[in-house]
Amino acid sequence: MSGGMYLVDGKNLSLFKDKPIKVLLAKPGIDGHDRGVLVLAKAFRDAGMEVLYAGLLPTPEEVVDTAINEDVDVIALSLLNGAHLTVFRKISELLKKRGIDDIAVVGGGTIPDGDKPKLEKLGITGNYGPGTPLSTIVDHITARASEARSRKMQ
Amino acid sequence: MKIQDIINGILNGDRRSIARAISIVEDDEMVIESSEVIKGIYNHTGRAHVIGITGPPGIGKSTMIGRLARILSDGNKKVSVIAVDASSPFSGGSLLGNRIRMQESLTENGIFMRSLANRGMNGGLSRSTWDAVKILDAAGNDYIIIETVGAGQADLDIVDLADTVIVVLGPGLGDEIQAIKAGIMEIGDIFVVNKMDRDGSFLAMKDIQDSLAMTPQKEWKVPVIGLDSLKGKGYDELVSEIMKHGEFNGSRPNIRLDRFMKEVEMALQAEIRRQYLLEARELLKSKDAIARFSGEKIDPYSAAMKILRSGKAGL
Amino acid sequence: MDGVKENYWENKLSEFREASGKKGDRIGKWRKDVLEPWNSRTKYEDREYSNSSSIKIDEIYTSQDLRKNFEDKYLGLPGTYPFTRGIYPNMYRGKLWTMRMFSGFGTPEDTNKRLKYLIEHGESGLSIAFDMPTLYGYDCDNKRADGEVGRCGVNVSSLRDMEDILSGIDLGEVSTSMTINAPAAVLTAMYIAVAKKQGVPLDRISGTVQADILKEYIAQKEWIYPPEAHLRLIRDMMVYCTKNVPKWNYISISGYHIREAGSSAAQELAFTLADGFHYVDMGIDAGLDPAEFAPRLSFFFNSSINFFEEIAKLRAARRIWATVLREKYGVRNERSLYLRFHTQTSGYTLTWQQPLNNIVRTTIEAMAAVLGGTQSLHTNSYDEAWALPSEQAVKVALRTQQIIAEETGIPDTIDPLGGSYYLEWLTDRMEEEAFKYFSEIEKMGGILQAVKTGYIQKEIAATSYRRQIRIEQGKEVMVGVNKYAESNEKPINILRISRRAQKSQLSKLLSVKQERDEKKVMEALSELENALRNPEENSMPYIIRAVESYATLEEISNVGRNVFGGWKEPVLV
Repeated sequence: MSGGMYLVDGKNLSLFKDKPIKVLLAKPGIDGHDRGVLVLAKAFRDAGMEVLYAGLLPTPEEVVDTAINEDVDVIALSLLNGAHLTVFRKISELLKKRGIDDIAVVGGGTIPDGDKPKLEKLGITGNYGPGTPLSTIVDHITARASEARSRKMQ
Repeated sequence: MKIQDIINGILNGDRRSIARAISIVEDDEMVIESSEVIKGIYNHTGRAHVIGITGPPGIGKSTMIGRLARILSDGNKKVSVIAVDASSPFSGGSLLGNRIRMQESLTENGIFMRSLANRGMNGGLSRSTWDAVKILDAAGNDYIIIETVGAGQADLDIVDLADTVIVVLGPGLGDEIQAIKAGIMEIGDIFVVNKMDRDGSFLAMKDIQDSLAMTPQKEWKVPVIGLDSLKGKGYDELVSEIMKHGEFNGSRPNIRLDRFMKEVEMALQAEIRRQYLLEARELLKSKDAIARFSGEKIDPYSAAMKILRSGKAGL
Repeated sequence: MDGVKENYWENKLSEFREASGKKGDRIGKWRKDVLEPWNSRTKYEDREYSNSSSIKIDEIYTSQDLRKNFEDKYLGLPGTYPFTRGIYPNMYRGKLWTMRMFSGFGTPEDTNKRLKYLIEHGESGLSIAFDMPTLYGYDCDNKRADGEVGRCGVNVSSLRDMEDILSGIDLGEVSTSMTINAPAAVLTAMYIAVAKKQGVPLDRISGTVQADILKEYIAQKEWIYPPEAHLRLIRDMMVYCTKNVPKWNYISISGYHIREAGSSAAQELAFTLADGFHYVDMGIDAGLDPAEFAPRLSFFFNSSINFFEEIAKLRAARRIWATVLREKYGVRNERSLYLRFHTQTSGYTLTWQQPLNNIVRTTIEAMAAVLGGTQSLHTNSYDEAWALPSEQAVKVALRTQQIIAEETGIPDTIDPLGGSYYLEWLTDRMEEEAFKYFSEIEKMGGILQAVKTGYIQKEIAATSYRRQIRIEQGKEVMVGVNKYAESNEKPINILRISRRAQKSQLSKLLSVKQERDEKKVMEALSELENALRNPEENSMPYIIRAVESYATLEEISNVGRNVFGGWKEPVLV
């Protein structure tokens, strides 16, 4: 177990000047199982990120709108109801349609291994299952945020 | 995105550019970039009707603003909403759960909604909120709604920034309402009692009318409107009062000057902060210099004055 | 009725102070003379032992740890008040628990086939799971439903679907459990409508709907309207069914989802029973006699991996329910004090890593449920951390129950662990923790208020986060995840649902809308709207009429959406 880097309180992981990473956490489907997403929200905060949680049942359009309006670095999607291929794809298509290439999208939930390459092809990385250490997820988001940030400044 | 691209984007109403520009003005460390953005768009501002909405939490402000924004956007008008979150910490991690509560009803109507960290001094409205309004104004919005969350100085400062201030109260606040009223009776151009379907709402309206009767008469007669956000009752009256107040403002040329003075004051604060405080922070990194002050038994106030007066030369 | 209401919870809490909390001289001497020398010789490093409810566990328990008159006052015998040892005098000797496996997927036709198969193999207790759109009151053609139709259960968009699910099944002969909450009244109305078409009198149909809306706001988050609106619909269903459908169990008060949302065992116990007491209050307010309707309320608990904690929780639940109904609500009829419950093993403890380990976890959890005296049991399949279970995995899960029932000898005697000092002490602690929460919740203005302000949800989220951090730090072990983990794990086979169900449901819905009498639909919906606007009116007959006109689930739900509005939960993070 990598020990607790996400536990460092108020640590500034900034890349874009001194701004903390801004993450939009969303469950874009009809799925009310929010235990995981609430744990992640707290873990991301403890890792120094600014966390926006979109609440329950946002549509893909609302997720993309919120991400753009709030100028986030990363959209972190979680779904446990098995509809990830349909819904994650919609979000990636909407971003593409609107010409957004500087917001990273990461996924997670109950995602079979066979679906992961399909999601990665859409630019949705991570796709972690239950039981993944929080530090792994935090590290992945930090890395993706840094890519997104570097594109924002171009 | 380069600053010039962002400016062009704002003027074309591009959401990404607007959003990015707000991130820039929200960042205390990006004063130069902020000033460039504002310089680039300033000539395109001054058109929007800015509506400030304030009131205690838990009385359905978000639902009400969602509905109002949709009504205002009818007939091809452009509307944006800024939710100012006074509770944001200065730095480090934070959960901004309450910041994006209205998004869903607005997306379908093409309304731009953005939450804004408020890092103003003394809890008042910060420069970032003023600049965000400028950006949305230049982007061609007809109406800009600013919601301030949580009682405090920010709720009072809204008077300076907004053309029309709406104070929202609800029934059943009990004794609390007396304390809240004490602070905000003066600032409202329109009072709203939300949740008219609840017990006590008529009493609340009467209570507000009585209090208004006791405050000094103004040129503008402050209306008290009851709303039932669930059924949509009372919104016609609210919109019509907002329009009337807009026209009333048109007859008061000195608001513009007052506002400009406030803007200059804030720009000055930002510039002073940047030139001295940020530079001083660099200087403070030079431990040797500070050690010398210490060695010479110079008190901290005098040391600070030396840095302020002459920058690096002071060391 | 002569219940005691004043300071009830506080007075109950004082009963726990009777226990000295001291171990007595004998243990003091043993610790000094035997344990400590041993510990220092074996270089034992002391650490704290605690369970999910953060209850600290000692190294040993004796009779000194129990309350005065424990055996007579708090333990009793099976089938006697306060039912700590079980609600029936002979428990599993008389009748084993019901092995109820939850099913339902794809199209109504698929589910119908599955139900008929189960009936042919002797099952008379049917259980239906619904897909997400149905659970949220959306039809299969709503844009939110895309990709979800028939995925986590069967899709029901109109009465036609219910007719197809139950086609060829005599509703007078089976009992049907439907896992449905927010639209429970509508699905109940559909079931009633099918029975009427079959010519089965309503007093002969029997079944259960979950309809526990409070736990939706707390944990599962599947609601349509604000809490008060849903509670009113449940009240209407309670009143209607008590009079017209006497064998319909209208609420299954569920702790399962509260636990899955990350609560501790004690929180599951406390919040579930607090919900239960709210429904009792509601029934009384609607003019029903609790002695009459309490037997229509059943419970649904989780069985997780901390073996003794789970058994203690289930025993405590029985004792609390009986005690409070008798003392606070003045219910005298003994049968009305029974807490009957279904148990499902934990989904939370299942891991996708080394999935076969899940069979072992489920076995232990199932044993805890049986030792806790459950009336029915669902055992999870080992592949459920991934997706809907495969047929082979479901079979192993069912066999697990059969082995416990028929090979282990566990059901041979009643409450075999009763009298264990540790278990009895722990049962007391679980009960005490629950009473602390009841008292707290009452001070906040009741469970509804505690839910609407997000207090309960935040308590659970805090527990859940604490546990996750303990797992990350290795203080809590999950075998195969944070200890004994293996790399290069192979993915397991999982059942996939194609989009076939969505296609066929869409075309069926279209034909329903074409064939129905549009005028009748509009009339039924507008009468329903009037009924919903009048809080004194019972909405059930109007819902039944709307269903019978083939108004769809979403159309009916939309009437409520217009009248009551939607619901945004309080900010939890």
